[in-house]
Amino acid sequence: MADRLTMPQTAMPAAGVRTPSADIYAPQWRNFMFVAPFLFFFTTLLVFPLLWGMWLSFHKADTFSSGNFIGLGNYVRLFHDKVFLQSVWNTFYFVLLTVPTLALLGLFLALCLNRRTRTAAVLRTLFFSSSVLSVTIVTLIWRIVFIPNVGLLSTIYGWFGATAPAFISDPSLAMIGIAIATIWWCIGLPMMLFLSALQQIPQDIYEAAALDNASRWQTLRSITLPSIKRTFILVVIIQIVLQFQLFGQAWLMTRGGPNNLTKPIVLYIYDTAFRRWDLGLGAAASEILFILILIAAMAQYLVTRSRGDQT
Amino acid sequence: MSAPAVSIKGRAFGDHLLLALVILLSIVMIAPVLWVIGLSLKDNAELMADPNSVFHAPYTLKNYINTVGTSSVFIWVRNSIIVSGGLTLGTLILSSLAGYGFARLNFPGRDVLFVIVLFGLAVPEQAVLVARHQIFSVLKFHNTYQGLILPGLSAPFGVFLMTQYFKAIPKELDEAAMLDNAGRFRIFWKVLLPLTLPAQATLGIFTFLGAWNDYFWPLISATKKDMFTLTVGMASTQTNFAQSEGIGFLMAQAVFAGAPILIFYLFFQKYIVTAVSGAAVK
Amino acid sequence: MTADIEIRNVNKHFGAMAVLEDLSLSIKAREFIVFLGPSGCGKSTLLRMIAGLETVDSGEIAINNERIDHLPPGKRGVAMVFQSYALYPHMTVRDNLAFGLENIGMSREVIDARINEAARILEMPHLLERKPGQLSGGQRQRVAIGRAIVKEPKAFLFDEPLSNLDAALRTRTRLELAQLHQRLQSTMIFVTHDQVEAMTLADRIVVMNNRRIEQIGSPMEIYERPATKFVAGFVGAPAMNFVEATLDRSAENAAARFADGVSVQTEIVSNQLSDCKHTFGIRSEDVRIVAAGQGNADGVVEVLERLGERTLVYARLGDGQQIVGSDAGNSRIAVGHKVGLAFDGQKSHLFDESGRAWHAREA
Repeated sequence: MADRLTMPQTAMPAAGVRTPSADIYAPQWRNFMFVAPFLFFFTTLLVFPLLWGMWLSFHKADTFSSGNFIGLGNYVRLFHDKVFLQSVWNTFYFVLLTVPTLALLGLFLALCLNRRTRTAAVLRTLFFSSSVLSVTIVTLIWRIVFIPNVGLLSTIYGWFGATAPAFISDPSLAMIGIAIATIWWCIGLPMMLFLSALQQIPQDIYEAAALDNASRWQTLRSITLPSIKRTFILVVIIQIVLQFQLFGQAWLMTRGGPNNLTKPIVLYIYDTAFRRWDLGLGAAASEILFILILIAAMAQYLVTRSRGDQT
Repeated sequence: MSAPAVSIKGRAFGDHLLLALVILLSIVMIAPVLWVIGLSLKDNAELMADPNSVFHAPYTLKNYINTVGTSSVFIWVRNSIIVSGGLTLGTLILSSLAGYGFARLNFPGRDVLFVIVLFGLAVPEQAVLVARHQIFSVLKFHNTYQGLILPGLSAPFGVFLMTQYFKAIPKELDEAAMLDNAGRFRIFWKVLLPLTLPAQATLGIFTFLGAWNDYFWPLISATKKDMFTLTVGMASTQTNFAQSEGIGFLMAQAVFAGAPILIFYLFFQKYIVTAVSGAAVK
Repeated sequence: MTADIEIRNVNKHFGAMAVLEDLSLSIKAREFIVFLGPSGCGKSTLLRMIAGLETVDSGEIAINNERIDHLPPGKRGVAMVFQSYALYPHMTVRDNLAFGLENIGMSREVIDARINEAARILEMPHLLERKPGQLSGGQRQRVAIGRAIVKEPKAFLFDEPLSNLDAALRTRTRLELAQLHQRLQSTMIFVTHDQVEAMTLADRIVVMNNRRIEQIGSPMEIYERPATKFVAGFVGAPAMNFVEATLDRSAENAAARFADGVSVQTEIVSNQLSDCKHTFGIRSEDVRIVAAGQGNADGVVEVLERLGERTLVYARLGDGQQIVGSDAGNSRIAVGHKVGLAFDGQKSHLFDESGRAWHAREA
């Protein structure tokens, strides 16, 4: 039976080497080898930990044992934990402080520096340069600005015989201090995104507006701003996603203090999971953060997708 | 007749106002850094007596000599180079192979897999940290180089970037190479890969910078002082700020750690900006 | 090297859409074949199927009686010149030519010899060390052809290779290709939508339309005895005149009658024609301009196109039909003149409702 089935095939010319390669675009398993190395790491170090983390969040677990299943127990504990609720509030407060400032300041800088002069190029380089520094250096710099006595701020205030606000130790100012350092650190990205959006506006629109005697303000309001509306939304969402993950600045500048007032969610996760080794609770807190970020990421996806919808 | 003159005058005034604002902002950008550099050049005792002493001599390089003299700093720099270099190399290899695979080859389940990889872009580090830490504890990867390098290899951004780049290369090149009897790997290696060099540079520099500045994962994975990266090591010396070794010394460390990165940035500015803009508008 | 190519009952679909239907074609060794047709007719797909870049859904393709449709592109012994040239941008011209030969493990001496020979034929030895980016469009074109020549293929496949060149260069390259074919005596298949390229280059033209071959024939056969109305209309500029006509088949040869009573006596045998409606067709050069009342019909001149060696006359007949005729280059006719049109019955064509063409008996 089997012989018979193969007979007609061998009768065909050169069917003995009936390679599947006749169709160069056919799906083939050996092509999978090119993506396999990446997918190995992707699966073991991203997909699996993601699922494992969800699983952990339903368990009471410490470093080495995965512990007992406690259902939503960790989540219930979180929502009764004043420190966690405080950290969620802190995170939102921080996002509120930084994101609008970053977006508006970034837009302002982009509008000012979107020209072909040497000065503009130098200033663009300058405003982006802080972004390449590590959080360690940024916080070191800003602590030395804010620190009493030898700090830059207190020195400047000293010239006028005044006392500088205590940006790190004053409970009502600590988060603002962190926000200032963060804005200084992150202003480069929004500026660059706005710049690349501005450069994509066709020049002839401006020429047409100039022929119509439009004032600079009119041009800005009726041409420039509408053209970069999408970028503005994108910048806001990107910054929300980034600033939700606040950790290093708060940890290094204030340790979350005073009185947990500058403790963001990620720092709560760090404390819970890696200092108190309550892995289940830490995992649950990170799932909450994940959901918050996912909402923002979805919004970003939708904005990117609706590219063609705007007139 | 006078209207245009007024508007030109108004423009000039507005220009000056904007210029003043931008200059003010750039002072805010630079002043803290200059302050840090200034402090790093001062003797600690003199600073404590009067911070305004920054503005006049005597200056000293003592703090830098002390920084270089701290043996740990060089170990941390070496660790950072190994980790960032290893991760960059690994990312380039994995991303190029996978980018070619996703962009040019067909295999069962390709499109579904690519969508899953895209979803990976939305997963923040924090969502996998706890589990990843536990897995690495079991594997005894903490305080090792592989422990610091491997997590970064799972990031999908490079694959996404390279896939887009490979897709932009005309397919006729592959077809011409197929007619030239080149196999899949040879087409990848000899024909397409050399054409992706700009993307390799962008991705490489971006990855290197990200790894160099990474703080969270090295903080929880490398707990032994010998395995600190420069970023974590620098942070560890900050804890007892203003007391132990003195402000000037800390500032010298900051300059020591920050200057190479800034120089690196000035050199590769073009690629960094491309990568950053590209990363955001995924 | 040269080879005959046999295409038998080939079908091709992209998804639900048929691209080629039951197509068969024999190409003789050393022949220069041109696939001519409008875009989307399947001509490029057919070429890519011979090259192995597209699969054959059913049917066979054989070179020298050996089936090749199951072989990967590199193993078929054909070389292709792409419309975009597809040169490897990071390799020098020499490396571009050498790549395919290195891949089959050819020795360095043979490779060098072949490259030098190809460079000599194409007059480009001075370009060998340059990269494609440093070459002009025409030079890139040569390199693309050179990359095919060094392989000494059984057949050359050209996919609209002249369409990226400017008009002057296109004419020159066309001529060079013809000379190259004479010199190499190789089978060549050339895809184009440009009828001038097809007419000037081909030994035989394969006119394709809508998934099928409309006609295979020498350029003059295609031009003078088009098999279908589509071919008649597609080949030749200006396009053939078409007029709805009824037939008078009472005599041995049929006469065509237009709506307003104009009658043209053709030399097409009556009894092979059916009763259905026909379209009368005639090329502009077969419509002579004569004095009004002297020809088959009268018309008013609307447009004149002076081509130098002749003048195209666009005349409107009484029933509103426009006919293009031709007059001498120094014609005195002016727009608005009433002229007579004399149709050459020997050069007249009739097309039945299915589009099939009927011609005068061959002389």
